[in-house]
Amino acid sequence: MSEAAAIEVRGLRREFRVRQGMFAAPRHVVAVDDVSFSVPAGSVLGVVGESGCGKSTLARLILGLLEPTAGEVLVDGRRLGGMDRRARARLIQPVFQDPFASLNPKRRIRDIVAMPLIAQGAIGREEIGRRVAEALDRVGLSQDQGARFPAQLSGGQRQRVAIARALVLRPRIVVCDEPTSALDVSVQAQILNLLAELRRELGLTYLFISHNLAVVEHIASEVAVMYLGRIVERGESARLFAAPRHPYTRALLASVLTPEPGLGVPDVGLGDTMPDPANIPPGCRFHPRCPVAVPRCAAETPRPATDEAGLVECHLA
Amino acid sequence: MIELLEIRDLRVTIGSTAAVRGASLAVTKGETHCLVGESGCGKSITALSVMGLLPRGARRETTALRFAGEEIGRYGEREMERLRGDRMAMIFQEPMTSLNPAYTVGSQMTEVLRRHRGTSRAQAVDRAAELLARVGITAPGLRLGQYPHQLSGGLRQRVMIAMALMCDPELLIADEPTTALDVTVQAQILRLLAGLQKDLGLGILLITHDLGVVARVADRVSVMYAGEVVESAPTAALFAAPKHPYTRGLLSCVPVPGKVKRDEPLGSIPGVVPRIQPGFTGCGFRDRCAWANAACAGSIPRRGAGEGHEVLCTLPPDWSREAAA
Repeated sequence: MSEAAAIEVRGLRREFRVRQGMFAAPRHVVAVDDVSFSVPAGSVLGVVGESGCGKSTLARLILGLLEPTAGEVLVDGRRLGGMDRRARARLIQPVFQDPFASLNPKRRIRDIVAMPLIAQGAIGREEIGRRVAEALDRVGLSQDQGARFPAQLSGGQRQRVAIARALVLRPRIVVCDEPTSALDVSVQAQILNLLAELRRELGLTYLFISHNLAVVEHIASEVAVMYLGRIVERGESARLFAAPRHPYTRALLASVLTPEPGLGVPDVGLGDTMPDPANIPPGCRFHPRCPVAVPRCAAETPRPATDEAGLVECHLA
Repeated sequence: MIELLEIRDLRVTIGSTAAVRGASLAVTKGETHCLVGESGCGKSITALSVMGLLPRGARRETTALRFAGEEIGRYGEREMERLRGDRMAMIFQEPMTSLNPAYTVGSQMTEVLRRHRGTSRAQAVDRAAELLARVGITAPGLRLGQYPHQLSGGLRQRVMIAMALMCDPELLIADEPTTALDVTVQAQILRLLAGLQKDLGLGILLITHDLGVVARVADRVSVMYAGEVVESAPTAALFAAPKHPYTRGLLSCVPVPGKVKRDEPLGSIPGVVPRIQPGFTGCGFRDRCAWANAACAGSIPRRGAGEGHEVLCTLPPDWSREAAA
């Protein structure tokens, strides 16, 4: 791998033990199953998939908020396991979906943004004040808004606060987990434009998780499609959206309702079976829903195939 | 022709907020009318007004609120109770708002029918099973005995739709029915609604913030902003030639798959949705509008802009062509 990789993930696996009843034996849920990829510095990897596909678990593993069951995460060439928390915070920061839940309602905005600096210790008061002011300015918030409480701001402004807090330590990598999903369309566009501008100006690398494919297409340079814990297709964004190779990617793209009247709602052909992470089918894990599955798909697990167009894991691709 | 639902000049005040300020719209039998707008624009309050389910302390006034030609604005709680769940039904974004976690799917579904129609238990169970099958649920017998928490999000949404259909309603009000679902399940649920509408001749008032959903399912669209219907048109006309600056802004904000350019900014509307106090006059959008002028603080004319196309704006109806040139 080139030394330029901002994030590198090797054979990453995470299991959870889930108990369904007081006396039932716990079951193993494999949320992330042998995932490997690297994200070059300054680029944006979009991760898409349905709920329960493991994309948020992947984000938490990369942020170091969860320990992997197996495999490792390298951030900026350094192993995340065993890295000092403060060093990690200077390198990689999160922006989450819900700006209501991720901001302390009892603190003023400027104190919320200052928190990561204070946690570092050894940074003077004046320096903290200056860097908080700079971060607020970067995300388009006034100093006056810095003196308010989260409840006094709108959803979009709160998400700006979360972004300012993520940037205040000047990290190189930001993990965005559904950063615009709780926002109105007009505000979503403001936040997406801000994130794109910040990436260009600060040379940031994003891991951008979203269930909204149009949003991912707009911001990501490369896209990974996850299904039940595995990346089933990965490729350069323009190629993946123009010529998807995995039947699941095709179905996801077909379900997007573009604002074009008269086309009706497409039949995506996925059937009614829903994926269950606690009960992963044998063979290709997508075969029970796959519109083009053949007998081989139920019997044999496909291996990932990589070429210049990216990665795909399908017997038929 | 008698409209299935006719709302004229609806005004709702909640505390010191004018939530709806003179909204009018109509739903015809067999038609899907989409009410689109951002959070806080008054679209859900409009729907709850029709159902008589406004929160405590809300004040509602209308010139007319007619259901199948009958004025229901003066109905008391008893009369509304008889309508709700029977001739008009509502489904919500979060299925657990209408499903009781302590009762099985079967007992909740049959209760509707037994209460409104006095149907026997056995017949109600048959009807529930039939409807579960109709909304694409396999093994309905098994599902009837299950509790809501044992079902996935998509299944709960289907159960809620089936429950809403128990008494064969004429009008279905759906408030963001697919917003919490994955795109793949959203497509399935919307196809299901379209199929049911065709078979049963339902009138649907669909509330959504998603312009993709609007484009694909609506016959007519009303765009709400700050408590007013600022533009109303047949779907094709609205998307081909939006007239109100807010509608145009909203459409430019949506990234369209296959047409987006990376690193090219999306259109966006500056500022935030205002909270409108009672007594506010003029256009609620003027603080965010690039074309606002002195006239926008006065009374705003509702102009015709083509067949069934109306816009609440001081700009002349052909301004968009000039702006594009």
